[in-house]
Amino acid sequence: MIYAGIDAGSRAIKIVLLEAPSGRMIASGVADQGIQQDKLAAGLLRRLLEENGCRESDIGYTVATGYGRGIVSLADTTVTEITCHAAGVRHLVKEARAVIDIGGQDSKFLHLDADGKVRDFAMNDRCAAGTGRFLEIVAARLGIHLANLGELARQSRQPAQISSMCVVFAETEIVGLLASGVEPADIVAGVMNAIAGRTAAMAGRLSASPVIFTGGVAMISGMDRALAEALGVEVAVCENPQITGALGAAILAMRKDGTQSAVEQ
Amino acid sequence: MGPRQITLEEWELRYDVLKSAGLDEPFYGGRLGRHLGDGDYRLRNLRFDDSAAALRLWNFLLTEEERLARARAEGRKLVGVMKDLGTTAVMAYALDNVVAFYPDGAWWIPCIMENSDRLLAVADSLGIGESFCPVRAMSGAFVTGNHFPIPDLLTCSVGATCDDFSAIAQRLEGLGHEIVWWEMPHRRAPESDEETVVLPGGVFAAGRSQVDFVKSQLEVVRKALERVSGELLDGDKLADTIARANRVRRVLGELRRAVYTAACCPLPALEMLIAEMLAIHYCSDRDETEAVLEELLAEVHARITAGVGFGGSDTAKVFWVNPVADLRVMNMLEECGGRICGTDYMFTHALDLIPEGIEPMEALALAALADPMAGSSHDRAARIAADVTAFGAEAVIVSRIPGASHCCAEGRVIGDYLRGTLNLPVLEIEVPPLCDAVRPGLYTRIEALVESIKQQRTP
Repeated sequence: MIYAGIDAGSRAIKIVLLEAPSGRMIASGVADQGIQQDKLAAGLLRRLLEENGCRESDIGYTVATGYGRGIVSLADTTVTEITCHAAGVRHLVKEARAVIDIGGQDSKFLHLDADGKVRDFAMNDRCAAGTGRFLEIVAARLGIHLANLGELARQSRQPAQISSMCVVFAETEIVGLLASGVEPADIVAGVMNAIAGRTAAMAGRLSASPVIFTGGVAMISGMDRALAEALGVEVAVCENPQITGALGAAILAMRKDGTQSAVEQ
Repeated sequence: MGPRQITLEEWELRYDVLKSAGLDEPFYGGRLGRHLGDGDYRLRNLRFDDSAAALRLWNFLLTEEERLARARAEGRKLVGVMKDLGTTAVMAYALDNVVAFYPDGAWWIPCIMENSDRLLAVADSLGIGESFCPVRAMSGAFVTGNHFPIPDLLTCSVGATCDDFSAIAQRLEGLGHEIVWWEMPHRRAPESDEETVVLPGGVFAAGRSQVDFVKSQLEVVRKALERVSGELLDGDKLADTIARANRVRRVLGELRRAVYTAACCPLPALEMLIAEMLAIHYCSDRDETEAVLEELLAEVHARITAGVGFGGSDTAKVFWVNPVADLRVMNMLEECGGRICGTDYMFTHALDLIPEGIEPMEALALAALADPMAGSSHDRAARIAADVTAFGAEAVIVSRIPGASHCCAEGRVIGDYLRGTLNLPVLEIEVPPLCDAVRPGLYTRIEALVESIKQQRTP
């Protein structure tokens, strides 16, 4: 029997398939988000099943999570991304006590108890300035690929101060910085610091360690260092950070079906 | 069958069923759907308790404008008691010829009417933009005159209240509305050589000099009330009005106790919010307020006895801090698998009994000083912690009001205090007058809170 976790995020759909009872991940995949989210999710799932010689009837239970979880019709149930990220991180890093998840649309700080359950959490609710969207905008403005932002930031000698509270105004601020001759590397590093600062402010006194960094933004090198500096604690990027939510959803699918994976026993 | 939360459309059929079963309604009764004709479009997006008692509550709330218009037509004096949440209205109802109301209540009009009355746009035109609390809608209501008659007397408390409200009221005064201001000092710990006075509710204390000062300020209100009504507001009348206020508060207190401690939640969060709000200003009719609350209480007792309610006995128990600008959010609590289990809507002092058997103006001053907003956020957090413990809540939602100066940072203070003292999860959300655009995010947060409460219960 296999169990499916589908994370319908704002920028991408992620799917993880777990095999029971071993809890081994047999497949994972990522597809860009689009207009027909339900069809995109179904298509990605079909592809993963075919590539691994499985059929839809092999799936025991499916949990959908993420922003678009409510429209994934093939899911048996939905669970919030907060619970799923906690479950996914706990599966990968047993000793995790805090999770930072920065995705395309929002960011979260989760405080976990010793059993890996969510004890408390905070989510940004003001604007995109603490999310991956900010990095997308700066990448587009500088004409570089998102994946190369980290490399560019490493060349920074004096990170710029980005003071705007809003991404739209921050973009204007970046235009001004470029016009005044500030190096792109310093601007990117400044944006990373701004995101990290907002995340630290959001976490407030929820802070706990070890902190595990997940979500799509965790794939951008250098963000972990910026967060560590802002929080004053070590921050570790978890394995395959983009699929942690889907992994957690698959684990919860297993539990909801009454199966405990070998990893959890 | 147990109670249900139903749509406005479903209320049409439900009304017919209740009517054919002999539903006896007060003069303001009738179909809930008729309020759509007044532009109350938000009702289409709400889920309502399906009891006759809840129908009466909603009809009472949604007919206040008619009551005020009738009072004006009958020649009674209208007093707008601004900002104060529960003291000056009590004083005003001591007078035979006065109807007091709460103009600040206009802050819900943009929600209820889904902005169709453009009160916020009028406020914008007055320079009171969206950086202010949604109560700025009140200034629009004064300009359009569509929601309440211009009062014969306006009173407003300032000082340790709400900076936004003070600014808005000052703008009103600038527009020619005369206001009797009275000052509320910041409640502080008594000086070491000063007599300590324990305030209603038993959580806060103040120094004698502060009580005397508030008494002197309420004397200003008393004189203004006497002037506008032509009646003497003597000690006997005040003692009687305090006793009447306490009757309402006792019924509401029992309603809160019954609902928040029942094994299965007997009344949804939305109806409880509306019911609690009645304590501040009586929705322009004190006698009817008492009757509405008594009927709700009887319904709740009947449900508890029958063991029926909403969501079963395993629903997540959530304590709610601050009222929401969009009523739709209260429905989300049950939709996400939670239940209301205690509240602090910024007027806990209007729920506590006003002392009786002492000089009435002293009693009212004590009640006013117990206002959670008059003290520090830390004080307020202490009261919330006491109430959370009393009701057995498992988590707290602090609902920020966008732009409201008093709650821009207190959520963090309250959250840190509760985490530190009770080790409870605290969720902070911000609710605009219409939450449709941010609904998915709000829903996710509340649902995640419920999930985490349920996770914590499992071994």
